[in-house]
Amino acid sequence: MFRNNYDNDAVTFSPQGRIFQVEYAQEAVKQGSVVVGLVNKTHCVLVGLKRNAEELSSYQKKIIEIDSHMAIAIAGLASDARVLSNFMKQQSLGSKMTYGRPIPLDRIVGQIGDRAQTNTQHYGKRPYGVGLLVGGVDEAGPHLFEFQPSGLTHEMSACAIGARSQMARTYLERNLDKFMDCSRDELITHGLRALKETLSQDKELTVDNTSVGVVGMAAEGAKGRIESFKLYEGQETVPLLEALEQSESAGAGEGESMEVDS
Amino acid sequence: MTSIGTGYDLSNSVFSPDGRNFQVEYAVKAVENGGTAIGIRCKDGVVLAVEKIITSKLLKPGSNKRIATVDRHVGIVSAGLVPDGRHFVSRARDEASSWRGTYKAPIPTSALANRLGGYVQAYTLYSSVRPFGVTSIVGGWDCEAELAVDGQVGSGPKSGSGGKVEGAPAGGPGLYMIEPSGLYWGYYGAATGKGRQAAKAELEKLDLTSGKLSLSEGVKEAARIIYVAHEDSKDKEFELEMSWISSLDGPTNGRHEEVPKEIREEAERFAKRALEGEDEEEQMEE
Amino acid sequence: MDHFPGTWGRPRNDVYGAYDPTYLQTTGPKTHTSSPAVTGTSVIGVKFNGGVVLATDNLASYGSLARFTDVKRLRVFGDNAVVGFGGDVSDMQYIDRLLESIDIRENYSTHGNMLNAKNLHTYLAKVFYKRRSEFNPLWNHVLVAGFDVDGKPFLSSADLLGTTFSAPHLATGFGAHLAVPILRRRFPEEMPIEEITREEAVSALKDCLKVLFYRDARSIDKYSIAVITKEGIDLKEDEQIEGQSWAFAERIRGYGRQTN
Repeated sequence: MFRNNYDNDAVTFSPQGRIFQVEYAQEAVKQGSVVVGLVNKTHCVLVGLKRNAEELSSYQKKIIEIDSHMAIAIAGLASDARVLSNFMKQQSLGSKMTYGRPIPLDRIVGQIGDRAQTNTQHYGKRPYGVGLLVGGVDEAGPHLFEFQPSGLTHEMSACAIGARSQMARTYLERNLDKFMDCSRDELITHGLRALKETLSQDKELTVDNTSVGVVGMAAEGAKGRIESFKLYEGQETVPLLEALEQSESAGAGEGESMEVDS
Repeated sequence: MTSIGTGYDLSNSVFSPDGRNFQVEYAVKAVENGGTAIGIRCKDGVVLAVEKIITSKLLKPGSNKRIATVDRHVGIVSAGLVPDGRHFVSRARDEASSWRGTYKAPIPTSALANRLGGYVQAYTLYSSVRPFGVTSIVGGWDCEAELAVDGQVGSGPKSGSGGKVEGAPAGGPGLYMIEPSGLYWGYYGAATGKGRQAAKAELEKLDLTSGKLSLSEGVKEAARIIYVAHEDSKDKEFELEMSWISSLDGPTNGRHEEVPKEIREEAERFAKRALEGEDEEEQMEE
Repeated sequence: MDHFPGTWGRPRNDVYGAYDPTYLQTTGPKTHTSSPAVTGTSVIGVKFNGGVVLATDNLASYGSLARFTDVKRLRVFGDNAVVGFGGDVSDMQYIDRLLESIDIRENYSTHGNMLNAKNLHTYLAKVFYKRRSEFNPLWNHVLVAGFDVDGKPFLSSADLLGTTFSAPHLATGFGAHLAVPILRRRFPEEMPIEEITREEAVSALKDCLKVLFYRDARSIDKYSIAVITKEGIDLKEDEQIEGQSWAFAERIRGYGRQTN
């Protein structure tokens, strides 16, 4: 029933020094629907494609707010994500209670990374079957992190995980230098464009299946230091999807480039 | 005797008939695939360096540090499974902090290496855990001057009997490398990861045992060695990350810090020039 | 000397009477330290345009005995915060180690220690409140000086009960009675801190220290002063109160050797 003798559990190395159970857990991430995250100098945007189990059922939750300065987008086992997000909420709240400070992103990402690592070194545990994109702002500015079941975490300029996410990553790689200095709204459009790349022929981005989350530094002269996390779902995504459509029709004439204003 | 198919390699903590723990050996395999990491123990400090292969264009450049600060005066760099390296560092931080709790003073590098060796070894003893998939280089500077006890607020009487031997040597650089088996040695120059063979060969040329190499030279050599060790996987892009710990009167005042950008870039220019020079020499010989 | 080492070095019963162990409580409820032992007196602080100044004298008293005369009661945290301690010195040392461990922890991150004085004050107040709720208080009254998240000068106090209080100028202990009126006269309530210069703030604190040395019997004329600005912390720990005039003391009657 097993592919080899070395993939029964997460505490056995293969002769090549691999841990198959962890690699299989990474596969669970690829089963989940795609989420995309990207940052520029001021903002972090998370977008997700929501699936519904059947025609009449509701859509799943892809983006979870952790605190006013931070959110996660998930691909893979949603229940594992809930364990991690509950933990993150506790840690974030703890930081605000004891220091009056929003928890720094690298700190909290390190903490879930360490938790995930523990699950790969002790018998009787299993690796988490979920990948996360953690986006937010702290005193050092906006950040995006990728979290993997192995406990690996990376700070990214942009990232996509989940089913068919390679298409989105290709888009992001090609447009990396374009969105570094772009506006908040343009960043959202870039995120949606990357998301759209992953869709199969018969699929569309709709108000039902699209989730968008934005968090960033506050604009000059605004009250407070940060623009708190905002989740757009349902009808609220209409203007965002319209902007996407506009950018595409504008961009159609000139190939790769994108001019939202023209 | 081979490992595969005998069954002796399927569980940690099990000896094969010829006295080997195969799971530990497999963990070493994970190390051998990791980016090259080195440490050099210089006369007036320690330098750590690591080759970070860029696996994706989407990674944020300059982030994702692989050298960690443990206490003010100690740094650790690992090769192998990165999350295991983070676990190792987290343990090191706990050890350093608990040492301070007991002794109200920073942990000596040798004591830290000893405790970490013990910790890693414990992960070879049980079938319920797997060994660490990392080899870690621990570099530190033990203060050469009389340190105030943590929390000390006064200096006490300026005269008195005292029992201290004046001028006795104290402190200095420390460099240790801990393997998945828990085995550790002190080193003049340590290398692990994919390019360790080439790196070791270069380290041996430096005549580190004479204790003459200065920290600023060490930084340049460390950069060069990482570049040399990278030659075998030339097709992949990489980032060089370096940290250092100097003596109290040196550039970091006995603290573990990232090597400043300008100095690192200067060292990288030196490394590239040295590599080009080597190529030319080879061509001349041909 | 007899053959019972346990009795060696003890006061002789025939001279001093039997040892009275009643203070070593063996029954009854668990108790904690309910009074400070070695103490530091006032801490004073003033905000000015672009920063904060904090000062304490260098004395640690054991009751009325001037026990230690070179005790540094201004403790630096990170690059931009200073805590001034009044009250029990051993508790101050405990908190100092606590702050050191936090600083080490914060420096694990590549961004360095990002906790500002305001964060630190929030934390310390929580520590004090937790300990007093366990009936095991840390016997201190501290001033925390530095900057808040917006980079504005920050000065606030926290005491052994977890009480917090903030004002443009603050003083603890005896200074709350003697220094605050002086500071209020110099820097009236309606005066914005932007109008106070660094020199004015420093000279006000020096004057306060002098008055405190005149009238607080638990003080000395050696002091520490820290000026915290965006450029960093300028800490001097071995200062001497200058320009003392004890002429007023000639008029004081009823103390010392003179009888009329």
